[in-house]
Amino acid sequence: MGMMLMIHPDRCTGCRNCELACVMEHEGAFRPKASRVHVYTWEREGFSVPMMCQQCKDAACTTVCMPKAMTRNRETGQVELDQSLCIGCKMCVQACPFGCVAWDLATAKILKCDTCGGDPSCAEICPTAALEWVEDTLSTRTRKQTFAAKLKNAFAEV
Amino acid sequence: MHGWTGKILRVDLTSGTVRTEALNPATARAFIGARGLGTKIMYDEVDPTVDPLSPANKLIFAAGPLTGTFAPSMGRFDVVTKGPLTGAIAASNSGGAWGPELKYAGYDLLIVEGRAAKPVYLWIEDDAVAIRDAAHLWGKDVPETTERLNEETAADAKVACIGPAGERMALIASIMNDMQRAAGRSGVGAVMGSKNLKAVVVRGTGAVTVADREAFVGAVTRAATKIKEHPVGGTGLRLYGTNVLVNILNSVGGLPTGNFQEARFETADKVGGESLAAHQLQRPKGCFACIISCGRATKVTNPKYKGRGEGPEYETAWGFGPDCRIDDLDAVTKANYLCNEYGMDTISMGGTIACAMELFSRGLLTREDTAGLELDFGNAEAMVEAVRLTGTGEGVGVLLAEGSYRLASRFGHPELSMTVKKQEMPAYDPRAVQGIGLNYATNNRGGCHVRGYTISPEILGVPVKADKDAIDGKPELVVLFQNLTAALDSTGGCLFTTFGIGADEFAELMTTATGVPYTADRFIRAGERIWNLERLWNLKAGLSAVDDTLPPRMTGEPIPAGPSKGAVSRVPEMMPLYYAVRGWDGEGVPTRETLDVLELA
Amino acid sequence: MQIHYFALLRTATRRSRENRDPPPPTVGHLLRDLAAEYGPEFARWVLRDGALSNLAIILVDGRDVRGLQGLDTPLTADCEVSIFPPLAGG
Repeated sequence: MGMMLMIHPDRCTGCRNCELACVMEHEGAFRPKASRVHVYTWEREGFSVPMMCQQCKDAACTTVCMPKAMTRNRETGQVELDQSLCIGCKMCVQACPFGCVAWDLATAKILKCDTCGGDPSCAEICPTAALEWVEDTLSTRTRKQTFAAKLKNAFAEV
Repeated sequence: MHGWTGKILRVDLTSGTVRTEALNPATARAFIGARGLGTKIMYDEVDPTVDPLSPANKLIFAAGPLTGTFAPSMGRFDVVTKGPLTGAIAASNSGGAWGPELKYAGYDLLIVEGRAAKPVYLWIEDDAVAIRDAAHLWGKDVPETTERLNEETAADAKVACIGPAGERMALIASIMNDMQRAAGRSGVGAVMGSKNLKAVVVRGTGAVTVADREAFVGAVTRAATKIKEHPVGGTGLRLYGTNVLVNILNSVGGLPTGNFQEARFETADKVGGESLAAHQLQRPKGCFACIISCGRATKVTNPKYKGRGEGPEYETAWGFGPDCRIDDLDAVTKANYLCNEYGMDTISMGGTIACAMELFSRGLLTREDTAGLELDFGNAEAMVEAVRLTGTGEGVGVLLAEGSYRLASRFGHPELSMTVKKQEMPAYDPRAVQGIGLNYATNNRGGCHVRGYTISPEILGVPVKADKDAIDGKPELVVLFQNLTAALDSTGGCLFTTFGIGADEFAELMTTATGVPYTADRFIRAGERIWNLERLWNLKAGLSAVDDTLPPRMTGEPIPAGPSKGAVSRVPEMMPLYYAVRGWDGEGVPTRETLDVLELA
Repeated sequence: MQIHYFALLRTATRRSRENRDPPPPTVGHLLRDLAAEYGPEFARWVLRDGALSNLAIILVDGRDVRGLQGLDTPLTADCEVSIFPPLAGG
């Protein structure tokens, strides 16, 4: 069992508090461009989705990492980056199909979610629990249950 | 500097020159930022008697020191200029992510001067500032302009722009940012249009820093907890939005109806927040760094009024609803969408149509004037059409675009315009709620509720209950609320945070963010300084004590029915006391002593 | 006597209005009856330790009971009572 960041776009209000908490945690200043999570908003529809590293099991970023700076921790299930080994070749940036590894020009380093070492600040600050830090095997239980409740109510009204 | 970026960007559209200046730290401390700092620059640089639509007027986009941080719900900015609707100092406040982006690009304020020879837009990417041709955008509505600009600059750039209403210098034109947020009031969009400036697009890669990181995070956590745990700020606004107020104002008999002829609307519930949540609401939205999420992402499926977007807020629902005696929430929401798309202030638009409807119902405005449009109370289709015509500048819309005061004056009845300083009053009847009436009458930007929101104690009982019908203590209450709001607006903070926190928390946030030691008293004093500076500007602009009044209906025509039956506004009784509390003379002029204390002399 | 509910209280009571005839003698009696009937999701907003919670806004004929006689405000058959949970807007 591991933990994962569960994204609930239906709850996201687009406030970007997650970006701010992330970048304050990692950079000590409010510089959203260096945040490891970014919120994408479609203003016409009023719909927002936060995106960050999904901690893949077969992670492309680990496969392409020559100096083995990017590795998967089998115990926690997280993909970890050892900055001291990173040579800045940006192969991981090229490889990530989600675009969730980025290169920061200002600090000349790779930006990737490290789940704040197992206590993600983005989930903590999220005012609507659109981001939740949950056990991965249970991650969809709430969603399933919510939908089951909707079914229940629908049947109850018949 | 911390909190502040310490830099001002100045663009002269006449000559096409761009330069940056350092922000004076002492001025920043005294006037905080946003509304306060913008006003200070206007006071120092612009002749208050200037024609607001001339190149000599300036247009200032100003963020606050907390803008761009995660101080809860504090990512806002102000547009400060001389308002063409009012002739007074204008500061229109907006949320979204545009203000923070300006800070990340490195600037606390953007000052726009002069007038471009042809339509242009500004593209600000950190230090690179370009004045670009906007011929291809002229005439486009707000959503399309925003999308086009994101395509030709950067997908993650933030756009503030005007719609067709601002281009034509409609006096009720707004400036829209992030497609759905509005710097709505006083006609700031017309000033932007007068400068041939279609949009300001900004992208910043820099940082906003705070002086004491650990202390700031602590202050933010405490403030956020207070807001979340407060029964009002915590969940109510997210569930129902601001429009939840329709029913309470109606129930106490303070919901202006039919252009303020009555104060109760039988079917008000049909346009209230509960109905919106049940029908049009898709999900709550939050501005940048917001934890309250009062925004409404909505959708109308009724083919007649089909659309999607944001809103309505309470004032909007009231303006297009009860004030026009309309109870069709689809139509009201559609009117809101049109205002956002054409770039118009929903309060002034609603109030102006209500005024037109009264003129029409009295036979003063005829079918000839409206080109056949049956602009009578209760006609939802005509109301929506009137909004559209104002946006496109056709037919009767040309008259409506000037606001209700000029409209009613044109037909010989200025007394039928429900305005203060020519700006439409919002959704609280000043006869039924005495304090808010005093706030309207004395407000530096005319009819406005958000700069002295005494509705909180007078109706909602927050933080304590005050008797809405009493006048005792109201001048003091109004002055305190006006001062506190002037200060908090200037930080970049949202008024709704005060449903959980007050001056103490703001002082702590400001101190830890900027490193400048603010106390609650010093913070409120800064607000008082800002209020008095706005007053000085207005006096120099030619406004005086005679402008501190409500429409004659408010003092002369008692509310005809409902729980507040018989009430009139007692503003004339309260005014001398208000001036005294303010430290102003009998003519409403700040005394030498007052200015000395505020370091404004 | 008619009672109107708003916002969260519509969820708690599952209705927007109801009639009570004959009416209880005072607001206090009414609130205690309603609290018993609709449970904690209703009661938490209106009463605390038997007194007005100062959270809900309770109007009798459009007048806030805090400006009348509070829980002792008398009720008659033609009264209209409106009960709001704490709310804000602007």
